[in-house]
Amino acid sequence: MARPSDLIQGTLDLLILKTISQEPVHGWAIAKRIQQASNDVLLVQQGSLYPALHRLEQQGWIQSEIRETASGRVAKFYSLTRDGKKQMAKELEQWERLSTAISLVVNPA
Amino acid sequence: MLWLKRLHLRIRSVVQRAALERDLDQELRFHLAEQRAEYVSRGMTDSEAELAARRAFGNAAVLAEQCRDQRRTGWLDDLASDARFAIRTLTRSPGFTWAAVATLALGIGANIAFFSAAYGVLFRPLPYPEPDRLVEVDLGFGGVGPTTALRDLSGLVEYAGYQPEVEATAQLGGEAVRLQAANVTWNLAKVLGVKPVLGRWFKAAEESAGQHRVAVVSNRMWRERFGADPQVLSRRILLNGEPYEIVGVMPASFGFPAHDTEAWTPIRIDPLNRGYMWGNLNLWPIGRLKPSVTLMSGEAELRGVVERIRPMFPWRMPDVWGRSSRLMHHSDALVKDSRPKLLALAAASMLLLVIACGNVANLLLTHWLRRDREFALREALGAGRGRLVRQVVTENAILASLGGIAGAAAGWILINALPALLGEVPRLQDIAIAPRVVLLAGVAVITTFAILSVVPLIRSRLLHGRVDSSGRDNVLRQSTRLSLALAGLQLAMATALLIGAGLMGRTLWQLANVDSGIRTSKVTTGTVSVGPSRCGTSDRCWAFLQDLNATLAATPGVRSVNWSNGIPLTRQTSAMSVDIEDHPKEPGAPAFVLWHATATPGYFSTLGIPLRSGRFFSDGDTRASMPVAIISESTAKRFWPNETPIGKTIRPVSGKVGRIIVGVVSDVKHYALDGFPSWIDGVQYVPFEQALPARSSNVTQLSVFVEAAETQVSALQGAIRRRFPDVVVSDLKSIEKVRDDSVSNRRSMAWLLSFLAALGLLLGVVGVHGVLTQRAAQRTREIGIRMALGASAGDIAATVLREAFLVAIAGSAVGVIVAAGLSRFLRALLFGIAESDVVSYIAGPAILILTALLAAAAPAYRASSVDPARTLRSE
Repeated sequence: MARPSDLIQGTLDLLILKTISQEPVHGWAIAKRIQQASNDVLLVQQGSLYPALHRLEQQGWIQSEIRETASGRVAKFYSLTRDGKKQMAKELEQWERLSTAISLVVNPA
Repeated sequence: MLWLKRLHLRIRSVVQRAALERDLDQELRFHLAEQRAEYVSRGMTDSEAELAARRAFGNAAVLAEQCRDQRRTGWLDDLASDARFAIRTLTRSPGFTWAAVATLALGIGANIAFFSAAYGVLFRPLPYPEPDRLVEVDLGFGGVGPTTALRDLSGLVEYAGYQPEVEATAQLGGEAVRLQAANVTWNLAKVLGVKPVLGRWFKAAEESAGQHRVAVVSNRMWRERFGADPQVLSRRILLNGEPYEIVGVMPASFGFPAHDTEAWTPIRIDPLNRGYMWGNLNLWPIGRLKPSVTLMSGEAELRGVVERIRPMFPWRMPDVWGRSSRLMHHSDALVKDSRPKLLALAAASMLLLVIACGNVANLLLTHWLRRDREFALREALGAGRGRLVRQVVTENAILASLGGIAGAAAGWILINALPALLGEVPRLQDIAIAPRVVLLAGVAVITTFAILSVVPLIRSRLLHGRVDSSGRDNVLRQSTRLSLALAGLQLAMATALLIGAGLMGRTLWQLANVDSGIRTSKVTTGTVSVGPSRCGTSDRCWAFLQDLNATLAATPGVRSVNWSNGIPLTRQTSAMSVDIEDHPKEPGAPAFVLWHATATPGYFSTLGIPLRSGRFFSDGDTRASMPVAIISESTAKRFWPNETPIGKTIRPVSGKVGRIIVGVVSDVKHYALDGFPSWIDGVQYVPFEQALPARSSNVTQLSVFVEAAETQVSALQGAIRRRFPDVVVSDLKSIEKVRDDSVSNRRSMAWLLSFLAALGLLLGVVGVHGVLTQRAAQRTREIGIRMALGASAGDIAATVLREAFLVAIAGSAVGVIVAAGLSRFLRALLFGIAESDVVSYIAGPAILILTALLAAAAPAYRASSVDPARTLRSE
């Protein structure tokens, strides 16, 4: 199983942005969704997750909102801002370039 | 606008700190709760789940701190706590803080004021388009030259002319007021490049006599007297009794030739009169270089034009006339007389700033020495060196800022007081806090701050490894040696200031001992400007003056009333080129130039000017009788050293009839206490009545001398106003006040320099006192040992005094060198003493050394009264 430190530098931001791109999600759910979506390969530790969320918020890419969850608890929900969408597109493009490049090296045709 | 949003987020991080903390706490607790719920759902008990969740979560405090770090506002918190601590420290030692801030404020304030004055007057561009193309003409002698001829004959420079400082009597409603008016050529506005804000400027045709009279008024006059009425253009104004139609209003920024000029009228010349060109010799020229003309090419043309003008004079002009004509930039010529004064004051204020900085540096040194223990403690408790240095820097920055703010305030006050303090300096009125001044203040503060920070940094180097070294004495010795050097520097600057003040003080003293030649204290003088309506012909004018005489004589206490064409000691020239009997000149050689004063018969006795030989003027010397003259004693000695001048003739170069000398009177300093201009060869007096022009279309300025038991200016003014509502007598003051005012320029300089020197001396001496006190305190143990070994109290006191003496000597030596370098700024202001005046150069250092020794007396006494037994036991 991959540890968070094994995540390629900068990809955590992309994972977070992608996870909250559809609807507002709180921190716990972000970690869970990344875990589930990656078939338990990517496990995001709260030690990395929360500082990352706060950093992205300070950058103006995501915004937060305090409201109740379905279970009635109060949680902080994160969603993308307009600048965040642009940033996600940029990071996505970068990631695709990088992964294509890596696979070209690793699996030469 | 992502950056704007980020800025907003940063600000929120600072402002809404509490809300953010609450959110963060809630967020992390929610995570923990979800984790526990998950564990419970996997079948753990509540307490097991709680523990497991906490284990998985790790250190919540560290995580929260990591999240906080993302806000990137930590440095702000540190800064805030440093600043809070610094302010607490500064308020805990208010004496130190006040002393430091006040000292800095003095230094910075004086610098802001004097440097902005120097900039504003000497270097600020004039408020005209392309001001560097404006030029003035120096024909190489006292007169101003035939300006309209220059204008007509020059191709490369456009010349205009103006009559400076003409007082006029204006009537708008009932009452007459006195104002500054200027008689100018029609093209003055074009040459200066200004346009009226309302109406128009003059037309060329309006210079011709006979046209109806027009005037342009200042913005201030328009606002204050006409209520900014746009209908002003159809109004009329009475100037010297003549009606003028107002045709324009100038912009508020326009103040030429003087900042308080209120009205401009075109010169009046008679084109039918062939000699008209010579009728306006009193017009001062100002020119604008045409495009691509340089000062050099303009000057070359000027010399050619002067060659062509010389033979056009109706009388033979000297061949050298105008040969050395020069063009000067108007900006330089305007401030020529103020330049040395302003530069000297700026230099002096810089010396004061050096003293102030030295003083504060010493205060700081002492201050930080006292805080040794605090720093040692903080170092021992784990404060990093960087953190300590940051603390020092923050504290100094706050101190320097306080000093800067206080200095800016002091500077602002001083700037506003400058016009009153400095006297006659052009362009001083409109000096304001300009961006450059703010910049200057900033530079001053930063410089100060740098100097202040250097001290503790030197200290921290000196103190390196201090904690383990048992002997503190060596380190302390070194830093007080630095203090002593700083004190010496202060004393050096104070010496230079003292010498400067001494030079000016001696100049004043010399001037006070000059015999003006006038011996009276009961005379009041004043100036009356009369227009052609009253003085158009000599008969009318004379009748008017008789009437005025009677009115003044009827005022209680008045003994006599006399008239002249000028008031002595006011630096207003009145001269005449003459041929003198027994002293023939080759045709083309320069004529003699005599000072030309007119006088009524009682003039000499009223002013206490004794007769040396011959007679005074009498009532019999009228226009109908023979033209006569009186000359001064030194004029008589110069031209007729071995015979009597009585009966000899003096003939004006421009006239045919000579005047017979009938008397010789003792010398009077008519121009100024420091003598006549160099081109004046002698002094002649002419009967007032004989000198009245037969016909005049211009304003005549007359000076009145009223002898009275008591001077009652308001009574005189009231008497004139009741009899002649349209006549205003201006500048009524006693003859002593005239003398006083004539040295006001130098007096203000002497006072300002003395003030700066006194401040410098005070600061310097306080500094020396502080350093010596501290050194003595440190050496208590050493002194105790020496006394135990047999040194007397006198020996110990002598040690302290010797130190003070040596520092003062060294400081004085440096100060003398600095003063010698800077005193050239004062050269133009000195009178009766050399720039290297021995008295000043000895008195300045002597005062300094004596004061330094006095300042050392207290620490010397304290050191000598150390009780060796107690000192040694306490160790």
